[in-house]
Amino acid sequence: MPDDASAAERRARFEALAPELVEPLRRFLVRRTDQATTDDVLAETLLVCWRRLDDVPADAALPWAYGVARNCLANAQRGARRQERLAVKVAVVDPPADHVPGPDDGDVDGRLEEALSRLTETEAELVRLWAWEQLTPAEIATVLDITPNAVSIRLHRAREKLRGLLRKNDAASGHEETREGRAP
Amino acid sequence: MTDDELQQWLQARDPASSLPPADPTWVARLLEDTMSADLETHHTETRESGTRNRSPLTWLVAAAAVLVAGLGVFSLVTDDPEYPNVPAAGDSPSVSSPPTVTELAAAPPTSAKCMVPNAEILSQAGIAFSGTVQEVADDVVVLAPDRFYTGEPTALVEVRSDPAMLQALIGAVEFKEGQRYLVSATDGRVTVCGFSGPYAEDLAALYTAAFPG
Repeated sequence: MPDDASAAERRARFEALAPELVEPLRRFLVRRTDQATTDDVLAETLLVCWRRLDDVPADAALPWAYGVARNCLANAQRGARRQERLAVKVAVVDPPADHVPGPDDGDVDGRLEEALSRLTETEAELVRLWAWEQLTPAEIATVLDITPNAVSIRLHRAREKLRGLLRKNDAASGHEETREGRAP
Repeated sequence: MTDDELQQWLQARDPASSLPPADPTWVARLLEDTMSADLETHHTETRESGTRNRSPLTWLVAAAAVLVAGLGVFSLVTDDPEYPNVPAAGDSPSVSSPPTVTELAAAPPTSAKCMVPNAEILSQAGIAFSGTVQEVADDVVVLAPDRFYTGEPTALVEVRSDPAMLQALIGAVEFKEGQRYLVSATDGRVTVCGFSGPYAEDLAALYTAAFPG
């Protein structure tokens, strides 16, 4: 059991680190799940950061924390799916895949939702981490625990695939949906 | 579409773009709650001295080493009975007077053999009560106690756990909504192996023998 001095030091380190993590983590989670799950997983992610403070890399704390949040979210979603299977009286938290875009979303026409759903989960995550969290390949590598080289190659392919899907989608929707007047 | 254009197109659809910043008070509280969990070694308190700001319920909960931790940290928390992973009830002024709740953890699945239930072993339980199951959910079973043989009486008892563990416990005890059970817990964990189960005369007699008066 650490003494008071080391406990205070640990607290100080966490207090210096955590406020920088909270907002990006919140946004990370809001992009991937509903509000209630965001709050739960955020709390759990911070708890892991607190407990594993000594493992947090000084030069890549945020990507590391994103990786933790990603795992915590996956756990929560596994729990949610198990809950559905249990078929007991319970309010089920929808996994984000079932998320229906609403008017508040940037994805007003659902084109992004549709396109991302046609990527593999890893491809979609690479695209999100690149476009929304705006991480470098090296940082994405930390989140996903793969090599930066692999990130570069897979991200390149994922973007190509996404572009292709959006083109195809635009062509297909041209005669059956109201165009939003937005240049792709 | 170039990479830059694609990135801009995606950013225009960022679900977090309209998210207002979190309330600083909320963030401060969140961080404080985080730091008070589990590693609260600098606030190490004896059970006697630590009770001054806490309700009897919290004391009970603390003594029972209860967890309301996130699913993934179940084992971490339960490894150390010194750290109740609940915020002190006295710490949250926003909660006025909710029904008193005893929170218990499901016993981890065990492959050990069970001993024959007897009153001597049962009498070591910190909590023993009879009650009716109100709700069976994914990670919690809620019981409405009608009699406490031992332990601080509360309006409700919640048995919480990782869903997988709770299923294991449900498997052992078969909690069903509306049915009455005899439940005992040692160190905040529900006892299985015949010490907790559906209400039955012989089990009730064992409880009475273990907790006379």
